[in-house]
Amino acid sequence: MDIISQLQEQVNSIANLALNTIGTLQRDAPPNRLSPNYPEPPAHPTEDGANFSEEPKLMSASLVKAAKQFDVLVASLPISETGEEAQIKRIAELQAENDAVGQELQKQLEAAEMELNQVQELYRQATDNCLNLKKPDVN
Amino acid sequence: MKIVTSDVLPSLEEQGVRQLYSKGPNVDFKKELRSLNSELQLHILELADILIERPSQYARRIEEISTVFKNLHHLLNSLHPHQARSTLIHIMELQIKRRKQALEDIKRRREVAQRILNESLATLDGH
Repeated sequence: MDIISQLQEQVNSIANLALNTIGTLQRDAPPNRLSPNYPEPPAHPTEDGANFSEEPKLMSASLVKAAKQFDVLVASLPISETGEEAQIKRIAELQAENDAVGQELQKQLEAAEMELNQVQELYRQATDNCLNLKKPDVN
Repeated sequence: MKIVTSDVLPSLEEQGVRQLYSKGPNVDFKKELRSLNSELQLHILELADILIERPSQYARRIEEISTVFKNLHHLLNSLHPHQARSTLIHIMELQIKRRKQALEDIKRRREVAQRILNESLATLDGH
């Protein structure tokens, strides 16, 4: 996959990770005490306390890892600082060179074609002469 | 012949999105991408904070995160014309190299053919 698509996929996966991280944490967070006037909220029986404190660490680790991977991909972008005008200028140069080589190629091809015809003509004459020398006996 | 490319990517302003990276003719893509990435991480952290402190204020943070993502994708999309031109340059260089090789090939073979012809004529004349 080309580098730009990889970068775009990485951005999307960072978005997914962020969504999952915030969403999961918000959904599974144990209730907090709002004010001393209210009673202590009941401890959630099914949620494993130890498990829950591990989740943010794991999820934030993968989020940061994804961000670092993005940075690595950005570093491997093969972009020269030359910009649009320099590229267009290079394309024009290459086009001129291509035209020149094309014309030279055309000339060589035509010359070779002509020489081929000459050789074929010579060969025809040679075979004719050979056949004439070996005329069959008409007796 | 003048080479012209027309970009069909609408600018961020046209889409009603605030542009976070610096405008100007030559954007330093790598630098802006990295800085947008850091800004994104910061915003996500701020969102987590705000959900603890003042959960009702989440909307603005989400909007900022969304803007950063849109900027990131727009910046990446604007790399495509650059990529297209680089690919074109690469293909043209390969083509010129192939054609020059073909040219050398033809010249060499013509010389060989000429030499063989001269040798055979000399042989015939010798008899």
